[in-house]
Amino acid sequence: MADSWRESSLMSDINVRSESVDVEQIMRQIRARIREKRGADYTEAELQQLATVKLEKFLDPRGLRSDMVQQFRQKHEASPPPPNYEFEENTLFETHRGLLRAFRKLFRPLLKLFLNPDRITTALHLQSRINAQAEERWQREMLSYELLHNMTLEVTRLGIEVHNMKMRVESLSSRVDFDERRAKALEGVVQYRTPPVARQAPVASDTADAPGVAPSETDATGERRRRRRRRRRRPGGTMADAQGQNWTEQQGGDSAGDADDSGDAGDEPEPQGSTES
Amino acid sequence: MKLAIVVQRYAADIAGGAELHARYIAERLARHASVEVLTTCARDYITWKNELPPGEDTVNRIRVRRFPVSTPRNPNTFGALSRTVFEQPHSVADELRWLDSEGPTSPDLIQHIRHQADAFDFFLFFSYRYYHAWHGCRAVPSKAILVPTAERDPALGLSIVAPIFRMARALMYNSHEERAIIEHISQRQGPGVIVGVGSEIPEHPQPARFRRNHQVRRPFALYIGRIDENKGCPEMFAHFQRYAAERPHGLDLLLIGSSVLPIPKHPRIRHLGFLSDEDKFDGLAAADLLIMPSQYESLSMVALEAWALGKPVLANGRCDVLKGQCIRSNAGLYYESFEEFVNALFLLEASGPLGGILGRNGREFFRRHYSWSVIEQKYLDMFRRLSTEPAPAVEPLPGFFARRSRVLPPAAAVVAAAPSGAEPA
Repeated sequence: MADSWRESSLMSDINVRSESVDVEQIMRQIRARIREKRGADYTEAELQQLATVKLEKFLDPRGLRSDMVQQFRQKHEASPPPPNYEFEENTLFETHRGLLRAFRKLFRPLLKLFLNPDRITTALHLQSRINAQAEERWQREMLSYELLHNMTLEVTRLGIEVHNMKMRVESLSSRVDFDERRAKALEGVVQYRTPPVARQAPVASDTADAPGVAPSETDATGERRRRRRRRRRRPGGTMADAQGQNWTEQQGGDSAGDADDSGDAGDEPEPQGSTES
Repeated sequence: MKLAIVVQRYAADIAGGAELHARYIAERLARHASVEVLTTCARDYITWKNELPPGEDTVNRIRVRRFPVSTPRNPNTFGALSRTVFEQPHSVADELRWLDSEGPTSPDLIQHIRHQADAFDFFLFFSYRYYHAWHGCRAVPSKAILVPTAERDPALGLSIVAPIFRMARALMYNSHEERAIIEHISQRQGPGVIVGVGSEIPEHPQPARFRRNHQVRRPFALYIGRIDENKGCPEMFAHFQRYAAERPHGLDLLLIGSSVLPIPKHPRIRHLGFLSDEDKFDGLAAADLLIMPSQYESLSMVALEAWALGKPVLANGRCDVLKGQCIRSNAGLYYESFEEFVNALFLLEASGPLGGILGRNGREFFRRHYSWSVIEQKYLDMFRRLSTEPAPAVEPLPGFFARRSRVLPPAAAVVAAAPSGAEPA
């Protein structure tokens, strides 16, 4: 809502008061306004890229799986990782038979003459450590997954909330937009007059402000104004039509009253031909 | 004075940009000289199939001579050759093959031009990128005046087109931007003038009749032209749908022209189909503004028509020509993103602060630069100037081996390296 308001007020900043305009200057103003609104100067390509990220797939409330963590665990249990195997320097020569152990120890230099068991030992030892680390990583992943799951739930909830807010903002923005449009139209057609008589006369009703209107006429004028408030723009007529024609408000003393009516959403100025007089 | 207008297609009902341009110029110059149009029998710019009878004809009191197209275009061959010359290192021979495949290949037309060279004072060739213009300019270089109608497309980067730009006696440009890129690519220094084209603007268009006939009750922005991807219509539709969602009381979008693209079903987008000129001008007069979403334009006649009727234009800012015209005329805004589109549209509405002023500027811009008296005078001045100046030398094609050497850079890269942006007035 605040953004809409700011946009509306900034729009009015560009109102042109003179006949000479500079298109480049106007475009600079528009771009400055867009930058200010965005907060950062993203290019259109960057925005497009951001927009194409397929978050909806995950954040769609209808497709959200509330038992994701459970399913993940089940999947993990269905195919558990193989057990790890501790592998140290002497693992290769270990045996519960003392004599055999002695023989192996005795002939180890001979074995080393034909191959290098240290390399095998080192590699298998490293593999064992890697397996242990993988198990730890799995535990951490489990936590991350749970966290991600909770975040997904939260973001989905926020997404729904944002969607609702967007609809509200859109509705409010359309009303602001309409008011802005009507205000612009009125600016162009209404001649403001400040009748000295009206200022001096202490009157209770604003209808009596109209100069030259006798108290006895005020009721009839007020009735006319109420009728006018109810009417909307002619079907088929556009702002362009309206601007190109004369207005009764420019001629009569109703201008002050019409200016007061500007807060009424259904009220728009009408061409002379269709205005009651 | 006797003039020949050489153009790829010519008929009263052909609405293509360059073809319409050629017809308007032929009809206007016929008031000052004897004009004959030399063209092909094709109607379809994709296949160049012979559809009109060869021989003499008269179109709007202009004598037209048509020649058959010897080989219709094969889209597959043309596509493959286009990829070769636009995107890969290639040879002059590849480019010549590309030119033949693009068409409209009419050796009879070129033969006629060569034989009748003495019968005309000048030959005006329209659209640099087609067969008739390239071979025609080489057939009568001392009498060739080229109306390039060039856009910023990869064909400009082909090595075979630069000599044509250099050897033509004069170039009649459509815009400052077109002149800048052609002069950069070809290093041309000969005579040239920015002319463009006028239009037959009715004195009293009737917006009320348009609204009544087409049941239009709300203010609207108008698009006129072929509804095509190349014209930037998908982006316009996307932007407009977002605009409509943001501004429920904003403008509607009306489309005039034939469609080769599915049009989104949206309550505020209406397609009226192909309309008569009378209807089109009534529609322009009834519109709040004209939208020109095309990125590739050498001159937008419909934008000029909108300005002639005092309507502002919202143009695609990525098109240097349209952007330049908006700036020089002070009669239109331009966009490069959705935000710019929506802000500019808001400002240009008839009830907005700018529309009226920009429209008045547009009317003045059209009157000053594109009224027929101004355009005719520029052509006549050029003919007068050329009749006293010597013709430049003809540049020969490379030799047998040089022509086949694949050392030329991709044409798209050549164009991409050329300076871009709107030119100052």
